[in-house]
Amino acid sequence: MNKLKTTVSGIELDTPFMLASGILDENGYTMKRVLQEGAAAVVTKSIGSSERSGYRPPVIVEIDGKSMINAIGLANPGIENFREEIAIALEAGKPVIGSVFGSDAGEFVNLSKKMEEFGVTAVELNLSCPHVKGFGQEVGSDPDLVSDIVSEVKRSVRIPVFAKLSPNVSDMIEIAKAADKADAYVLINTVKAMAIDIYSRMPVLSNAYGGLSGPSIKPVGVRYVYEVKKETGKEIIGVGGIRTGEDALEYIMAGASCVQVGTAVYSDGRQIFSKLAAQVGAIMDAEKIGSVRDIIGVAIRN
Amino acid sequence: MIHAEVIRIERNTPTVRTLYFRWDYEVKPGQFIMVWVPGTGEIPISLSSIGAEKSITVKSYGPASDAIVKLTAGSRLFFRGPYGRQFSVVNGPILLVGGGSGMASLSPLITKNTDAIVSARSADELLFSERIPEGRIIRVTDDGSAGIKGNPINALETVDTEKYGMIYVCGPEIMLKKVYDFLTFRKVRAEFALERLMKCGVGVCDSCSIDGMQLCRDGSIFSIDDLKKMPEFGRTKLTESGRRVFFNH
Ligand SMILES: Cc1cc2nc3c(=O)[nH]c(=O)nc-3n(C[C@H](O)[C@H](O)[C@H](O)COP(=O)(O)O)c2cc1C
Ligand code: FES
Repeated sequence: MNKLKTTVSGIELDTPFMLASGILDENGYTMKRVLQEGAAAVVTKSIGSSERSGYRPPVIVEIDGKSMINAIGLANPGIENFREEIAIALEAGKPVIGSVFGSDAGEFVNLSKKMEEFGVTAVELNLSCPHVKGFGQEVGSDPDLVSDIVSEVKRSVRIPVFAKLSPNVSDMIEIAKAADKADAYVLINTVKAMAIDIYSRMPVLSNAYGGLSGPSIKPVGVRYVYEVKKETGKEIIGVGGIRTGEDALEYIMAGASCVQVGTAVYSDGRQIFSKLAAQVGAIMDAEKIGSVRDIIGVAIRN
Repeated sequence: MIHAEVIRIERNTPTVRTLYFRWDYEVKPGQFIMVWVPGTGEIPISLSSIGAEKSITVKSYGPASDAIVKLTAGSRLFFRGPYGRQFSVVNGPILLVGGGSGMASLSPLITKNTDAIVSARSADELLFSERIPEGRIIRVTDDGSAGIKGNPINALETVDTEKYGMIYVCGPEIMLKKVYDFLTFRKVRAEFALERLMKCGVGVCDSCSIDGMQLCRDGSIFSIDDLKKMPEFGRTKLTESGRRVFFNH
């Protein structure tokens, strides 16, 4: 399966498939199991400075059995309680990427330094959660703040720094350029959305708004990966609606060096990672593609 | 979101109600639904009847369950599901061990061949004991107000556990752990329905996890052999934030 090997910011991956932040990654044993069952790396749930319970259920709305809208509300045990979870996840012997969220550069720096101390392979800055006030997207749509956060974190840690950007901004290229000190971009986070139950005449999510993920957002993700790769040339980790080998190859040809998979764990179970590797391998054989690395961004036209 | 009309309501104990509704869908014993009370919240509840007419049996313990317990005939019930794995169905005699409202998810398994140990805090909280014929039921109460005073182990000690095709257990995790410890070195087949915090119900949020397995998808039914591979069982659980805490024994 050598042809599936790829790298991002010098991190070697057996396959291009990582678990995306927020899905089955709040708990060390779960991350360890997902790695053992086939993910090449996991990104942790986004972790903040202090413990948060998140929103009360309903926190998800299912759409057609494949996509969903979520408003978990950044539930997390807080950075100090996360040391043990990282240690457990690292027992799988594969890369663990620590995702963090905060409201200013100082907070992001502290969280990233902690993650580095816990032994993660890289940090991912969540500049993009679409549904929690004061965090995520509110931070990620301000280019000065983004630039500040990314350069401060970059100065403070030795491990690679990924910037996860939001599609819910008027100009993603501007934000990407503001984050250009990052080693790679992670594109995209969920698309702000909502669902109303017509019989109760009420929004379903307790928070009313949430983030749409799954196959419904794949064309949006592919477009952003293509556009940002073309404009910046920087390494990109693609994410959004990947469920099949074809989906993954589309992202890779648009410019992604590897991809993350989230909502497909809901539609297809944890087995999705081994399934994707087999599907991509088969397509590569049929199409005589020798290595994932040969096709990164091949679709980009000037 | 699915919705159905509540046809009738049964008062089972001072704190527990069963709500009957019609839902034309095949549900297996042990599966659960996520019941939504618009504007209040959403909680997982297992089905206590799974025929053409279905039911949920609810004890009030928080805002959402409180609102469900107060629903009246004719109101709408909102839910999604069914989720989770089913209990294995076997031939021959079976034994149910239910603690508190745990009897609710075991009740679809009741047949003429069923023996049961039903336990609760006191006599008036014994759930569905009237559904099991006298002679096939052992009652257990914490306060001794009915049956044996003590816990389900005191009842299990009086039973030939090896004569059953399957022992099904549901109740608080501490009780499950005691039953598991009692049964683990005996030649029995047993399945346990675990209860943990659930938020999404569909295997993404990680709130219901135990040893890397998700109760909402890989469970909530686990065999005694599954549990042998789960060191967190009866020892640690996760809070709403995902922090790992120890059970107070
Ligand atoms: C339930 C759920 C929780 C999420 N939580 C986070 C999070 O904590 N941090 C983050 O950066 N992204 C979070 N995301 C976004 C995903 O990481 C991913 O960017 C998005 O879901 C698109 O990918 P997908 O279609 O493969 O799920 C979450 C997504 C879902 C569905
Ligand atoms: S309730 Fe979300 S993973 Fe089980």
